[in-house]
Amino acid sequence: MTTATAHPLVHEYLKELSSATRGLPAHRRRELMQEIEEHLREALPPDAGEAAVRTELDRLGDPQDIVAAEHDRPGHDAGVAPTATDWLTVVLLLLGGVVVPVLGWITGVVLLWRSTAWTMREKLIGTLAPPGGYMASYVFYVAFAFQSGETCGTDSAPGRPDVTHCTGGRSTTQSVLLLVLLGILAVLPLLTATYLVRQAKRA
Amino acid sequence: MQGALVHAEALVTSEGTLYPLLARLRKERLVITTWRESDAGPPRRYYRLTEAGREALGGFSLEWAHFRTAVDDILNDGGRT
Repeated sequence: MTTATAHPLVHEYLKELSSATRGLPAHRRRELMQEIEEHLREALPPDAGEAAVRTELDRLGDPQDIVAAEHDRPGHDAGVAPTATDWLTVVLLLLGGVVVPVLGWITGVVLLWRSTAWTMREKLIGTLAPPGGYMASYVFYVAFAFQSGETCGTDSAPGRPDVTHCTGGRSTTQSVLLLVLLGILAVLPLLTATYLVRQAKRA
Repeated sequence: MQGALVHAEALVTSEGTLYPLLARLRKERLVITTWRESDAGPPRRYYRLTEAGREALGGFSLEWAHFRTAVDDILNDGGRT
């Protein structure tokens, strides 16, 4: 039917385009190739001479330029993957405080605020939700979970078995609240880290 | 498409770059496309402005008018120094 695309120059061009589009997402690559092929099919009669083919291919432009236009999109995935430094920042925020208490996390915070990959809002969330990353969870856990709040005293009298009295301790409500807080602190740093990784974008 | 492209030649470095741009407009929902059967060959894609697209175009037209006036003023003032 249409044999314009069988023309050797066209075939060569499409091969070049196919190679240039290798970095695109599969569905978009397929789509673009189809659009260009369709364009050529429309523009060139089946019996097109070399001059006509060359003119048309010139008008289409360099495959590299076309692919460049694909990437020239705000928020296009390929251009906004987090860099190694971004990953380091997130890991430091998350676990830095656990490995090197306080300083590790502070390093993460410094990297975060100096980075151009996140907006002010994202940086605030990264710093405050929760402050300290898993260091905060750890500190909280140690400080509160192991202390039951009870005070116990033992009465010892000769000839009688020791009696231990405990007062205080936590009510059920307090225990539940504590568990909820622990749960939040266990999950929140990870959520924030995931959020930061997703949002990493460059101008 | 080819007809309008002739007018746009000053702006478009290559016709091929229109397709990525159209894809972007589609992604931003400023245009929608429909496929229609054609008598000669595979179905063809037809583009149409959406409501949001119309608004965007309107906004751009306004900005363009301001921009054009500003540049014209500067260029005209350049006549006398």
